[in-house]
Amino acid sequence: MTLMSMIAAEFAKLARSLSWTVVVLLPAAMVLAGALSSLVAGQQPADGWHTVWLRSVVFYGLFPLAIGVAVLGSLVWRAEHRGGNWNALMSTPVSSLRLVAAKTAVIAALAMAMQLVMLLCVTVAGKAVFALPGMLPARYLLISGVIMLATVPLAALQSGLSMLLRSFAAPVAVAFLGAGASTVLLLAEIGPIVFLSPYALATRATQLGTGTFADGGEIAGATVGSLLAATALLSLVTIAGAAAILDRRDTRT
Amino acid sequence: MSSYIVTTDHLTKRYGERAVVEDLNLRVPEGCVYGFLGPNGSGKSTTMKMLLSLIRPSSGQVRVLGEPMTRATRRRLLGRIGSLIESPPGYGHLTGAENIGLVRRMLDLEQRQIDLAVRTVRMQDQMDKKVREYSLGMKQRLGIAMALARQPKLLILDEPTNGLDPAGIEEIRRLLRHLADGGVTVMVSSHLLGEIDKTATTLGILAGGRLLFQGTRAELFAAATPDVLIGTADPQRAQALLSGQHDARIDEGLLRLCGLSPDATAQVVSHLVRAGLGIYEVRRQEQSLEDVFMDLTGGGGL
Ligand SMILES: Nc1ncnc2c1ncn2[C@@H]1O[C@H](COP(=O)(O)OP(=O)(O)O)[C@@H](O)[C@H]1O
Ligand SMILES: [Mg+2]
Repeated sequence: MTLMSMIAAEFAKLARSLSWTVVVLLPAAMVLAGALSSLVAGQQPADGWHTVWLRSVVFYGLFPLAIGVAVLGSLVWRAEHRGGNWNALMSTPVSSLRLVAAKTAVIAALAMAMQLVMLLCVTVAGKAVFALPGMLPARYLLISGVIMLATVPLAALQSGLSMLLRSFAAPVAVAFLGAGASTVLLLAEIGPIVFLSPYALATRATQLGTGTFADGGEIAGATVGSLLAATALLSLVTIAGAAAILDRRDTRT
Repeated sequence: MSSYIVTTDHLTKRYGERAVVEDLNLRVPEGCVYGFLGPNGSGKSTTMKMLLSLIRPSSGQVRVLGEPMTRATRRRLLGRIGSLIESPPGYGHLTGAENIGLVRRMLDLEQRQIDLAVRTVRMQDQMDKKVREYSLGMKQRLGIAMALARQPKLLILDEPTNGLDPAGIEEIRRLLRHLADGGVTVMVSSHLLGEIDKTATTLGILAGGRLLFQGTRAELFAAATPDVLIGTADPQRAQALLSGQHDARIDEGLLRLCGLSPDATAQVVSHLVRAGLGIYEVRRQEQSLEDVFMDLTGGGGL
C-alpha cells in the first residue's frame, strides 16, 4: 500500500486509454497551428526559435493547456465513476491522501508528457518547416522544466474536480472559465495571482523568458523562484484539500 | 460478546426527514453465513455501506472485527474485509487479469493469493478477456475474486446473485458455503429468500429500514404463528359470527385465522360452539419459510 504501488496501479489503468492520444495530439496541433499561421503569412519566423516558441507554447498556455489537463483529469477519473468501481475503490485500505496523490501524480505525469511532446514538435517545426539554424536553445529546456512543474497544481485541481463531479464536461468547463479569468488577471499584471490560481500559475510559466504579458523576457531567478514556491504551495493545499473532502464524503448511489 | 464479528447499535440513516435505516441492532456471529433479507428499497445496501463506512450513519454505531468502524479506523479495518456493493467493479477496457492485477498492486498481495481467489470463483479460463465482454455473472465472480484476494476475515456481498441464472445462483451458493467452511464470515443480502435460504445459518430480515427478525431459521419458524384452520358445518355463518373481532377467511371450505394465540384460539372455538355450530376439526397449518418471510415483510415490493 505504498504510494509507489498506488501510482503503478494508476498507470496500469491507462493501458489502451484515450489519454495518450490527447497527450500527443494537443501539443502537435498547437505547434502545427503556429507554424501554419507563419506559412500562410508567407514569413519566416522573425526571431527564429523565439518566434516559433511564442506562437506555439505561449498560445498553448493561454487556455489549451488547462483544457488538456482537464480532459486528462476527466479521462483518468471516468472509470472510477462507473458501475461498482467507486464503492470498490473506497473499500480498500488505501488512505484518501494516497489515492488523491496517486491520481494527481498520473495526471501530472501526462501533463508533463504533453510538454515533452511540445518540445519535440517545436524542434521538428523549427528544423523541418523553417530550416532554422542550430538546435532549439537550451533555455527552452529550462523553461519546459518550470512549465512541467507548474502544471502539478493544475493537475491536482482538475483531479479534485473530476473526483467530485461525475460529469466529464463540467470540470473541463471549469478549466475553461478558470484559465480565461486567470489570463485576464495576468494581462492586468496582477502577479500574485499565481499563488492563488493553478490556472494562472501554469499560464504564467508558459510565458517565462518570452517577454509576453508581464514577463520581462529574461529567465529571472526571482521569477522562477516565485513560480516554484507557488507550485509547492498550491500542490500541497490542493492535494490536502481534495483528500480531506474525499475522506468526509459519503459514497454516492 | 467477542463471538460477534459485526454489531450495530441503534444504527440509523436519514436522508432529509426520511429514515432509510432505523434503529438497527445487528448481531452477526463469527463464522456464519448471515442472510440479510428484505424487499427492494428496504435499506440493505444502505446498511452494508454503513458497515464499510462508505456512508456515515446519522446516528448509532457500527463495530466490526471488535473495533468501532469510523472514518478514522476504516482504512485499517478494510484490509480484512472483502466487499461487493450494488454492482460489480471492473474496468471494461482492461482484461480480467489486468483488473485483478490492479488489486494485487494496490494491496501489495502475492500472485499466489490472486490465483487462489480466481480459482475459487472458477474464472481462471476467462482472465484474458476484456471485462467489457464479460457476462453479468462473470463480472460478479470477478468482483468476488477481487474481494477475496485479500483473504478477508469478513466478506460483505450485496445481492451477488442479482441477474444470475439458476446455475449461476447455485454456483454462488456453493461458493459461500465453501468460504464459510474455510472460516470466513459471510454477510450476504438478497431480496429473494429462496436464493440464500439454504445457505444462510443466521437470518436478518429487514423491511422499511427496520429489522423485523434476527436469528436462526428454526427461530424464525418458531417466531411465526401458524394459521389456525377450523372445519365447521357452516363456514359462512362462522365467519359472520367472528366478524369485527377476527379477520377470518374461508379457504377451501375451512375457516382460516392468522396470528391467533392459543388463548384466542380457545375463545374462538368456545364462541362458535356456544352459537351451536358443529366443529369438525381445529388445527394449525405449518408455514413455509417463504410464507413467514412474506408475512413479515408484508410481501411488499417483491
Ligand atoms: N443517497 C440517497 N438519498 C436519498 N435516498 C436514498 C439514498 N440512497 C438510498 N436512498 C433510499 O433509501 C431506501 C433504501 O435503499 P437501499 O438501501 O438501496 O435499499 P435495498 O438495497 O434494500 O434495495 C430507498 O428507498 C432509496 O431510495
Ligand atoms: Mg440494494
